[in-house]
Amino acid sequence: MSNPSMNRLLLIAVLAVAYVGVPLLFGGNAYVLGLIVAALTIAGVAVAWALLGNLGGMVSFGHAAFFGVGSYTSAVLAMKLGVPVFAAMLLGGVGAAVSSIAMLPALRLRGPYFALAILAYAHIFQILTTEMTPVTGGAGGLLSIPRFPKILGFDFGEKLGGYLIVLTVVVLAALAYDAIRRSTWGLALKAMHDTEVATRVVGVPSTHLKAAMLVLSAFITGVVGAFNAHFISFLDPDYAFSSGWTVLPIAAAIFGGYRTVWGPVVGALAIYLVDQLLFKPILPHGHQMILGVLLCAMILLSPGGLMPALRRRPVKEGRHAHA
Amino acid sequence: MTRTLANLVTVSALALSAALGAGTAQAKDFLLGSELPLTGSLARVGQGMHEGISVAVEMANRNYAGRHSFKVQTIDDETSPAKGVAAVEKLAGDGVVAITGGYGSNIIGPASEAAQKAGLVYITSGGVSPELTQRGYPTFFRINNTDGYALAMIGMLQEMGAKKVSIVYLNKDATSSLAKQVNSALTAKGVTVGMHEFDGSTSDFKPLMNKVKLQDRPDVIAMVGYENDYVGILRAAKVLKPQVKAVVGVWSLATAQMAKEFPDLMETVYGTSMLPYPVEFTQPEAVEFAATYKKLFNKDPDYLGQFGYVQTRLLIDAVVRADEAGTLAKGGLPDELRKTDANTLIGRVTFDRNGDNLNFTHRMGQHQGGKVVLVWPKDAANGTMNFPAVPW
Repeated sequence: MSNPSMNRLLLIAVLAVAYVGVPLLFGGNAYVLGLIVAALTIAGVAVAWALLGNLGGMVSFGHAAFFGVGSYTSAVLAMKLGVPVFAAMLLGGVGAAVSSIAMLPALRLRGPYFALAILAYAHIFQILTTEMTPVTGGAGGLLSIPRFPKILGFDFGEKLGGYLIVLTVVVLAALAYDAIRRSTWGLALKAMHDTEVATRVVGVPSTHLKAAMLVLSAFITGVVGAFNAHFISFLDPDYAFSSGWTVLPIAAAIFGGYRTVWGPVVGALAIYLVDQLLFKPILPHGHQMILGVLLCAMILLSPGGLMPALRRRPVKEGRHAHA
Repeated sequence: MTRTLANLVTVSALALSAALGAGTAQAKDFLLGSELPLTGSLARVGQGMHEGISVAVEMANRNYAGRHSFKVQTIDDETSPAKGVAAVEKLAGDGVVAITGGYGSNIIGPASEAAQKAGLVYITSGGVSPELTQRGYPTFFRINNTDGYALAMIGMLQEMGAKKVSIVYLNKDATSSLAKQVNSALTAKGVTVGMHEFDGSTSDFKPLMNKVKLQDRPDVIAMVGYENDYVGILRAAKVLKPQVKAVVGVWSLATAQMAKEFPDLMETVYGTSMLPYPVEFTQPEAVEFAATYKKLFNKDPDYLGQFGYVQTRLLIDAVVRADEAGTLAKGGLPDELRKTDANTLIGRVTFDRNGDNLNFTHRMGQHQGGKVVLVWPKDAANGTMNFPAVPW
């Protein structure tokens, strides 16, 4: 069987396990399902971060800004204007995408300068949220944010409902990422990575493409942030704009393989679940240290991440077989 | 004779084993859950409450020996709301009868909501935000609130006869609402109040303190924040030396830890405190509490331990009462806890419909020569107020 067909079959099998197997196995275990939801929340941001890095060629240290703006937009729309929660969640993504427009001037910057500029934007958004007390509740934040509704008897406000929502968001984000990568846009973006000047000469609107990737990445992160606000039912500026929403997704993407589409998802699930389910019970007050060591080891032994490492293995075995 | 003696021993042994057997059959093991920040930015306060909870469990095992035994399963929420929720869900899955713990209103909010969903009682002393009780969750209880801290600060400022007060406060929910409450009460009494808000990331308080010194010219500076904020404010004040008669704060200030770590900054500063330092106890329960604390942790208890102890002791008493009434397994614990009317180390505790303890009032202590002396109210004082006096 050809490689693309094999990959498609594997993806269908994994999605079947995710949509049917996981609910059947852990539907009754709120704790484990809650951890998987938290891991997928990080995975969603990790996919958006990797998309911006791979396709847009920009390293962001400020994705917490989009996460925070998305979560506050959705929470405020649902709480103060009575917008239905699912619509508010999508509008949260729109809000984050709109906020990314303010960052467009930073697109002329490269490398660490862009990373620092976007970090500064995140801080600005956090201060604005803190100061807009009548709308956002100020530093005190918002408690009892409306949860996801019951539709046709199925309660999306419960753990299982939340799992299905965030899983769908992450799958759609990854599929969109993959589709763009395979499109002519993706080809142009790849060419831009090699030499931006040359692609401009042949008529590729590089700034427009980079801006589009930034807006898309912000939209995905905003939707994930909005989901989290309605799932946790609580927000304050420190939490919504926490640097954790940037650092953990970056660690997850690098661990899983940020050059691949599904690497950030695998990385987020691996580092969060292994840390919480395996390391934390063994070492309650220092489990993050083991995770740090594991991340260092992964970077040293397989700089491309977990996904490329897993893919390499069968090739090696094949070679041995031929030998 | 030997045979009679052997029979007697046999009968006694049988009677004893029957009695022990009967006792064992009635005795129950209760597993309590505790979700606390043991790592992260709230680790220090979380650890303090954890120590108090451990003392309560140790004392309960002694007091109910032969009848019941108690264990506590603790999970670190890593100062994260999502991990607080996960901790509560794990504890619910492990079959705990109720949860004691929680620190920080932003973590307690979602964690207690998860407990409410699981039908578990959640009792705390770590979140004073009014919104927590306004939700009206039947399973949520707390033994302290903003009002108790505000009343103590207002009462002492009145006793000092302060005419002008500058309130320097952190822009968090609990600190803002406390500062605003003090402002309203003082303004209503004709006191001139200057309000100065600061952000959690503020590290240099000199510009703010300069404003207080040159613009407000107050009699008293009132601080509402946390440990690091107090240290920053007092350092700035020590440099700029505003002409005030006293510096007053609230929680996490009049503690043994602050007296030990910042003796030069703390001298004559006031803060809320239930206990003097070194601890002086006279009530039998308080003496036992202090001795058990010393035995377990080889140090004197502080106010965090005291709050952790009281909330857990009340919970354990309610668990036993509900068990004896046969309602524990039927979800009767919240009702049983709501019947509480107890004199505790922090005063009388009763719970209203929303689980708030409306009797809660705090005391004020003053750092004096490396000790914390209770100076307000008069009936709880163990020393006199050193006034006017500042650390510089």
